[in-house]
Amino acid sequence: MSEQITYKFTEHLIEQQYAAEQAMLAELEAGNYTLDNPLVKYNAYLVNPLSAVVLFKTEEETAIKVTVLGKTPQANIYHTFPRAKTHVLPIVGLYSDYTNKVEISAYQGRTTVVEIQTPDVYNGVKPVYSMETTPEYLQDNIILVSPAGEDLASGFDYAGDARWHMNVACVFDVKRLKNGNLIMGSHRLIKMPYYMSGLYEISPCGKIYKEYRLPGGYHHDEFEMEDGNLLVLTDDFQGDTVEDMCVLIDRNTGEILKTWDYKKFLQPGLGKSGSWSDEDWFHNNAVWYDKNTNSLTFSGRHMDSMVNIDYDSGELNWIISDPTGWPQEWVDKYFFKPVGDDFEWQYEQHACVITPDGDVMCFDNHHYGSKNRDEYLSAKDSYSRGVRYKINVKERTIEQVWQYGKERGAEFFSPYICNVEYYNEGHYMIHSGGIAYMNGEPSELLGAFAKQQGGDLRTITVEICNGKKELELQVPGNYYRAEKLKLYSDGINLELGKGQILGKMGVTPTFDTDVPAEVTGQLLPESCNASVNEEFDRFTFKSRFEKGQLVMLLLEGENETRRYFISTTAVPHLAMCCGTFLDSDERNTRTMVNKAGLSGTYDVRVIIDDKKYETGIRITA
Amino acid sequence: MLKEVSSAEFKETVNDGLVLADFFSTTCGPCKMLSFVLNDVEKEFGDDLKILKVDFDQNKDLTAEYGVTGYPTLILLKEGSEVARMQGLQQKPAIIKMIQEHK
Repeated sequence: MSEQITYKFTEHLIEQQYAAEQAMLAELEAGNYTLDNPLVKYNAYLVNPLSAVVLFKTEEETAIKVTVLGKTPQANIYHTFPRAKTHVLPIVGLYSDYTNKVEISAYQGRTTVVEIQTPDVYNGVKPVYSMETTPEYLQDNIILVSPAGEDLASGFDYAGDARWHMNVACVFDVKRLKNGNLIMGSHRLIKMPYYMSGLYEISPCGKIYKEYRLPGGYHHDEFEMEDGNLLVLTDDFQGDTVEDMCVLIDRNTGEILKTWDYKKFLQPGLGKSGSWSDEDWFHNNAVWYDKNTNSLTFSGRHMDSMVNIDYDSGELNWIISDPTGWPQEWVDKYFFKPVGDDFEWQYEQHACVITPDGDVMCFDNHHYGSKNRDEYLSAKDSYSRGVRYKINVKERTIEQVWQYGKERGAEFFSPYICNVEYYNEGHYMIHSGGIAYMNGEPSELLGAFAKQQGGDLRTITVEICNGKKELELQVPGNYYRAEKLKLYSDGINLELGKGQILGKMGVTPTFDTDVPAEVTGQLLPESCNASVNEEFDRFTFKSRFEKGQLVMLLLEGENETRRYFISTTAVPHLAMCCGTFLDSDERNTRTMVNKAGLSGTYDVRVIIDDKKYETGIRITA
Repeated sequence: MLKEVSSAEFKETVNDGLVLADFFSTTCGPCKMLSFVLNDVEKEFGDDLKILKVDFDQNKDLTAEYGVTGYPTLILLKEGSEVARMQGLQQKPAIIKMIQEHK
């Protein structure tokens, strides 16, 4: 390897966690760890710095109660684990930068208190502005927010204290699965700006049980079906468009069971929203399965539409959208006619939800607020809201039956991301996670870009119960979604053993056209600050180039050459639901290449304009 | 035929047959790459297609006339009328497909 190009091989997190777990269990076996003298492993699974694992043995099978002592008694988090002689207990809900006390109690027996000192995981930055709620309302739930920018996932208790955090960028949606595990995007970026390798099924203490890899990657949302299989939003990277595909994957094998290509039931270019582009014509940001109608509902930001199809046939059932500009035959066949008072359509919405009685909810970002360009709203005149529509499918009518947020005006306006949650009738969460200000004024730029230009970002999460605001959390930064959950579940909480890497990566698209270049035999210039990070199924090439240079990454093998074009021109994005991987220096590039489809050993070389350079690095697949 | 043209040359040529206009910038990496792709495209069509390269920064009248807001932008014109448009760097098969659909 060269001195000018940094090379690193990174084991998959599942491998790293397995090694750490094996070492931890070996230490338990080698020692004499008892209830009075337990083994304590801080951040045992490496990714949750507000967690630990406590291990010990008892002579008799004993149930163990764990109480993570809060700063107030109402902030205690506790769980009772089933009877066992060997106890490997996940500890979650630790405070940052704090000497945490955790009570370990034998069921109807004595108690030991262990102290766990945590570092300041927020590096001196306060992660919360305010939390207004009561311990009676929130109890031992936390409000978990998932990343849309450089701020990583965190969870906050009733007092606004951080009790959960991840130190890797698992982005987009987070949901609790029926078995108590969490499902969230992996932290492995496979294509800029935010397409990830797949999903992690993970315990709250950070142990990854499965990575579900997808050839077209993962973005935005997933949904657990009744049988446990997963609907996942994905892409076809060999195609010309993005964010217009959904797959059903087998929970046990990761195999793709069913695929929906939206171009089969929609027509790209119809119903353009203000952020529409050729490539990202639909911008699917949510999926919901409704068992009562056996249908799927997709939210498409760039069509201002929530679209419902039959699960089996894939045929279009209906579209909730402002019909302005749509062909009349589409309006006649699929659209709804508003009835009742105070009705407003949603614009560039996120997070569609079907309630138990068939109503349709979403977070109406209300970005632009019109289909007519001349009537687009400026940020300062905009608002966002949670909204609930009652639809009559036979009579094709739609009525707005609830909204929250319009009355707050621009202070609650998020032009992108966000979600609503339905808990019960009249009981909702409305998460406005994409608020941005430039020079004190509501920003016309999406948060990810506003941040790069010195803007201030904010997230406001509200819970409403029967018209009364029960909770309002305000945090700095933009967060894709919020989810309320308890850190301990009725499930297993921590299962030992090696996690599984399921599914498969796709073949990274190559560029066909060759570029004539002089072979210099020289290493890539030091000014490129290049690095290669290899993993078992892919590698990432990072390098700095000057704007306007023609750059091509080459994999030159014995029998073939693969070319990957690297753009050195900033691409204007009209959507940036996850700006986590954007670089503040436009010259820095990041190119991900999957090993799928490669065979043998390849020399990594780089063409810059008309010269070909060496990296001294070889990739074997 | 593939050549860089001025605004005047463009207007002289555009009304005759099938023309692929490439609005590019000399400060754009994808534009440079597209030039190599268009070299290959030209070989496929020979005299049946004229490829006119238009410097985005030097021909503001043309960019305004054709509503070109970014580069690279490819506009396919038939007897002077726009029949198709592509934005961003494209691969050879996609460009050939577009041309053949309107040939």
